Amino acid sequence: MSPDGETADPRLQELVEGIVRLAAGDLEARLVASEDGDEIDAVITGINLLAEELGHIHAELEERVAARTAMLRRTQVELELMAKTDALTGLANRHLLSERIRDAIAAASDAARVPAVLVLDLDSFKAINDTLGHSAGDAVLVEVSRRLLSVVRAEDTVARLGGDEFAVLIDGATEEETLAIAQRARDALQESVKIGTETVWTTASIGVCIQRPGYSPEDLIRDADIAMYQAKSEGRNKVRRFHPDMLDAVLERSRITSELRSAAAGGELALLYQPVVELATGRIAGVEALVRWHHPVHGTIMPDLFIGIAEETGLILELGRWVLQEGIAQLGRWKAEAPELADFGLHVNLSAAELLRSDLVDEVRETLARHGVEPRRLVLEITETVLMSRGAGEEQILHRLRDLGVGLQIDDFGTGYSSISYLRSLPADTVKVDQSLIRNLESDPRQHKFVAAVLQLISAAELNAIVEGIETEGQSSRLQAMGCQYGQGYLYGRPVDAAQVLERLRGAVQPR
Amino acid sequence: MAPVIVDGGKGSVELDDGGYVHLRWLPKVDIQVEDARAAMATVNDVCQDQPHPMLVDMASVASVSREARAIWSIPCSASRIALLGRSPVDRVLANFFLGVHIPPCPTRFFTSRDDALAWLNTGQAGLTA
Repeated sequence: MSPDGETADPRLQELVEGIVRLAAGDLEARLVASEDGDEIDAVITGINLLAEELGHIHAELEERVAARTAMLRRTQVELELMAKTDALTGLANRHLLSERIRDAIAAASDAARVPAVLVLDLDSFKAINDTLGHSAGDAVLVEVSRRLLSVVRAEDTVARLGGDEFAVLIDGATEEETLAIAQRARDALQESVKIGTETVWTTASIGVCIQRPGYSPEDLIRDADIAMYQAKSEGRNKVRRFHPDMLDAVLERSRITSELRSAAAGGELALLYQPVVELATGRIAGVEALVRWHHPVHGTIMPDLFIGIAEETGLILELGRWVLQEGIAQLGRWKAEAPELADFGLHVNLSAAELLRSDLVDEVRETLARHGVEPRRLVLEITETVLMSRGAGEEQILHRLRDLGVGLQIDDFGTGYSSISYLRSLPADTVKVDQSLIRNLESDPRQHKFVAAVLQLISAAELNAIVEGIETEGQSSRLQAMGCQYGQGYLYGRPVDAAQVLERLRGAVQPR
Repeated sequence: MAPVIVDGGKGSVELDDGGYVHLRWLPKVDIQVEDARAAMATVNDVCQDQPHPMLVDMASVASVSREARAIWSIPCSASRIALLGRSPVDRVLANFFLGVHIPPCPTRFFTSRDDALAWLNTGQAGLTA
């Protein structure tokens, strides 16, 4: 009933009920219009249509929210995947590998089948990158990943740790199985890789670490890495299982690195000089500067124990700079003390890293000028391996050094893989033939012939030859007879300090 | 020409002598998407794809579904559309069609047949002008 007592249209009450249902969220609620088609039916129709629109907008909104949520979820999954995988190879990265190792350690219940980690480092990858370019290098890395995936089991994880370093998580295996997988990886990687028209070989050094109680993922990777370095130092293309003794070697290297850093400043480095002799006359044509480390606790340490570490850690740049400065300074002092001895040179070894120093030429020029030494009296010795693999940058520095008037010498000739045709194009004046070539010179006629041929080759390339490691008169006379101009070795004197050099020089120039 | 029955039987289409196409919906029908689609196809057939003004007789139609309304957003042979109704319900239905969807040609609601035809003819004159 309406307030004035008239009977209200029942559709109005239905309208109120319908609106209440819609307001309560029942968007499916609909009202039935009469056949009158009057204003009340128009309102009913309008409300039905509005409810339909509202329902549609609501559904559309929900659909959009669901689509956006799904898209966000997909993006999140993709981002997680990107954050955990290596973009080039699609393999797991270090982060994901650590996660998987952690899971594997947590899940391991059988003491006979524990997780293990292999760390693999390609042995000659840098050469591929340097000679064939980075895209060829990338193709090799992709092929390496494919081969590694082919030798592991489905439950194992192959990861790329960065550069040319890979790792494998062996998720629960016996020691034998683990080592078998490591061997399979080694075998698979030593097969050649075809890159376009080129064929390359890239072996790997592999370190293995098997889970021990209390080991974290980081411990496993670290120890596998140590074992990998051991494999590399033992000649590459090898599999080595981690042993605690290896850790001592690493600590020793770390100690040497830290002490070497302060050795030059602490006055612990010294140069000795070994004569380079003109074979025909016995005249000392020059001296080669050889570095020694007088360690306050361990005594004199020979360069073969610290040069490798210095090269790996970059300390070689500091060390090389010190040798160059000290050697040239000494040459200046000799010149001042014995101006009559104007005809002997100083040989200084130059490492591959130093050859990349942009300030090398300027430093050589300034140091020579500061000590009043003529450039021709300095001979820089560069190993044939460095010379053979030189890039455009190194080539330019070598030419600038030659333009300066500094002598360049190929060191360790006969130990690398130099092509004979390169001998003529190398930017050098002299070639130092490695001592290994003359070891059996007196006893082996074939070796005699061979050395004669090598010396002829050097002469044909219009280069001077120095043979190192001469220990006997017999070797000396044979080399002289073959036309070799210069020699170096214990026969002519062991490395001596600067003071003794002058005595030797003065003695040598005395008429016989 | 005789009226052509729209598939589904809820309406018919005829090309009037006055030069407009006439779509008549039967009273009390609920127009669904398939009815709207069939009606549009019939209109296109009758017009032989030539543009014609269209009178839509929708008096006393019970309801038009949302999807059916959307069909009339697709361009067809109608060059302008006069929606003819009588009741307030027709007006509401027509205005929901006009308000929610964007018609592809000028469209208006009328309650007077004469007014509707006059508006259609204006457009036709404009077309031929």
